[in-house]
Amino acid sequence: MTVPRILARLSAVAALASVVVFGATALLPSDAVDARTGGRATAAEQDRLRAELGLDRPVWRRYADWVTGLARGDAGRSLLTGRPVGDVVAERLPATLTLAGAAMALTVPLTVALAWLLGATAGRRSRAARPVGGLVTVAAALPQVVLAALLVTVFAGLLRALPPVSLLPAGGSPLDDPALLVLPALTLAIPSAAYGATMLGGAVADTLRRPHVAAAVARGVPARQVAARHVLPFLLAPALRIFALLAGGTLAATAVVETFFGYAGLGELLAGAVASRDVPVVQAIALAATGVVLAGFLAADLAAALTDEERPC
Amino acid sequence: MKLLHAPSGVLALGLAVSLSACGGDEPAASGAALRYVTVGAPATATHDPHGGIINQSDLVRFGLLYDVLTKPRPDGTTEMRLATSFTPDAKLTTWTVRLRTDATFSDGRPVRAADALFSLRRVHAKAAENFGRLLMFDVARSRAVDDHTLELRTTAPYAEVPRALESISFVVPDGTRTFDRPAPGSGPYAMTGGDLQNTVLERKDAWWGERPPTRRIEVRAVIDPGARAQAVLSRQADVAIGVNPATARQVKGNEDVTIVHRPAMTMYPFVMRLDREPFDDPRVREAIKLATDRRELLDKVFLGYGRLGNDLLTPADPSSPGDVPQRTRDLAQARDLLRQAGHGDGLTLTLSTTTSYPGMDTAATLFGRQLGEAGITVKVVNEPPDTYWTEVFAKKDFYTGFFGGIPFLDVARVSLLGSAPTNETAWKRPAWDEGFAAALATADPAKRRAALGALQREIHDEGGYVVWAAGDGLDLTSAKVADLPTGAGFGSNFIERTRLLP
Repeated sequence: MTVPRILARLSAVAALASVVVFGATALLPSDAVDARTGGRATAAEQDRLRAELGLDRPVWRRYADWVTGLARGDAGRSLLTGRPVGDVVAERLPATLTLAGAAMALTVPLTVALAWLLGATAGRRSRAARPVGGLVTVAAALPQVVLAALLVTVFAGLLRALPPVSLLPAGGSPLDDPALLVLPALTLAIPSAAYGATMLGGAVADTLRRPHVAAAVARGVPARQVAARHVLPFLLAPALRIFALLAGGTLAATAVVETFFGYAGLGELLAGAVASRDVPVVQAIALAATGVVLAGFLAADLAAALTDEERPC
Repeated sequence: MKLLHAPSGVLALGLAVSLSACGGDEPAASGAALRYVTVGAPATATHDPHGGIINQSDLVRFGLLYDVLTKPRPDGTTEMRLATSFTPDAKLTTWTVRLRTDATFSDGRPVRAADALFSLRRVHAKAAENFGRLLMFDVARSRAVDDHTLELRTTAPYAEVPRALESISFVVPDGTRTFDRPAPGSGPYAMTGGDLQNTVLERKDAWWGERPPTRRIEVRAVIDPGARAQAVLSRQADVAIGVNPATARQVKGNEDVTIVHRPAMTMYPFVMRLDREPFDDPRVREAIKLATDRRELLDKVFLGYGRLGNDLLTPADPSSPGDVPQRTRDLAQARDLLRQAGHGDGLTLTLSTTTSYPGMDTAATLFGRQLGEAGITVKVVNEPPDTYWTEVFAKKDFYTGFFGGIPFLDVARVSLLGSAPTNETAWKRPAWDEGFAAALATADPAKRRAALGALQREIHDEGGYVVWAAGDGLDLTSAKVADLPTGAGFGSNFIERTRLLP
């Protein structure tokens, strides 16, 4: 696929995602005025507020206005507090990107290691294979809250090595005190890597079974070289796709993890914005997350295009 | 098989690096800064002090940045702030309010009556969002007499004007249009850094009041009560507002921390609509109240942190009647009343609840079981918290409600008067409304209090609320914190006297 076609496809996906998110939020029962008045206002007062916020217009019209605003670089104002959405999101975006980045920095090597373990043992009746596979499956299914509580009990409670909550310094960055990132990042990375490994493990097993790998091993090529030259190039594209997917999952999971650790990021904001039907805020965050995932897929597609040309046989 | 070794080594290395990068304990509390962690969600964080203020973190910040006209003391009496005196006319509809002459905004302008009037009008205009806090005022006919004198008009005789201003009368400069950032304030502190989630405030030497003991206060919003408690336990904060009863029990005996009680803050009353069957029959309501085991509910939902309820909605209010006998459980009489009401063969009810506040669902389940012992079959339905306050609250016949320590006059305005937008029990009694108006037209404080008390007693006797307990507000602080506000309601948002012991 050519680069322009890839870009066109991604733009179409981004546009579709924004329609779906807008529609889904609009279809939820109750709206921002209900949230804003806490159910304690008269119907007339609520109608007045709806008109003030433009919520009395049809959904398609609101969407069109939102898109027009966005084209001008204006993400609108929060329906709940009237604050500019750009301000609200920008306040928290760096914290979440840092956390998600730290989580992915753990997820990527963990995924590769676990996938290698699963792929290399697949098909063999080795004693190591089954418990490893079982553990990975359990880790992939572990809810983040449970894992977070477990990690806090061990590392903050028993070992006293890490803080149990991750309160960011006022006006500072999470990098001022990296210890704050460890437990939330591990909470995000472990299930995500396990899930990724179950997907990538199959690709590893397939590649290892290819005749040219066996031939290289038979020729006496050292294991490291076999891995680097004859196996990894085949795994690059599927791995990047999986990492893009995991990045999206990691961003989504920040909602739970940030709240648990008191970490002031976008996930925490998104949870509240959905609960109070603050559509412009939800849209902005969803769009940012979609952008991250699509950028990942773009990288994966480009890598696939490149490795296809140079694929050794 | 050799292929296995390299990656697992990488994995081990990665974990080792990530662990060694993380230091040990946090530095101990620095002497001058008070680190205060409280309830607040980013989606509702706001710079506007006059609309619907959902986050306690915002209220506390406003209390430090802005002056209010009056505020409540822990004992329920009124403390003067920007206002120095209130003088009503004979009809109690026109009030002359004198203001301090020595207050200045952070931009150097003096605080004038016009600023106060502008702010009150803004609060009034946002009635839909702030539960109609200032609807008793006729703000159009109120005026600024001179720079330091206000003339406030009320729509009907209103003897409690100083108390009516005890809530969100935050004063900003006349003409302030945008609230994308803090408006200039005349309060004891100025915002010097951080954001709405985590605000850094520094003491202002020019403030008119007694100099606050703490130079720097950091106010931080954290949604999760467990995370707030952990912040104090791990010494990342000095104060955690609103922790769970389970946390309070856990830290018993821990000498590094203290639990501060704010009495009678949280109520999850069971709400019965008087205009629907079977609750339109007073015998059914009485039977349900008698079948309630209040002690068990208090012990299991609030773990005993609170006081028994007596179907009075505002036990901490100075006007709450002190001589109402405590309702206790009497299953035999409850069954008898049900029989008289024609439900001798049993009665089946559906009770809604949610998880908006911790323990609401437990309370409903327990209550359902208790009513079962009186022959009432209760089906408990757990509704999603997102839509509970718009779909269930003030709509269903029988559900679990919430009050957070607001005074009686506020409860009456939002839930009891015939005109109340959310008269959830359908308590529509013209005589009661007239009694309320008459009480507020009574100038003598003792007589007024007695009249308001009688109105509350009528709710106890015949109303649709089962108030089984009032849970304490529980705050966790390091042992070095002193003078955290302890009153119920709005007064606990003013923390300028809170300090760290040396």
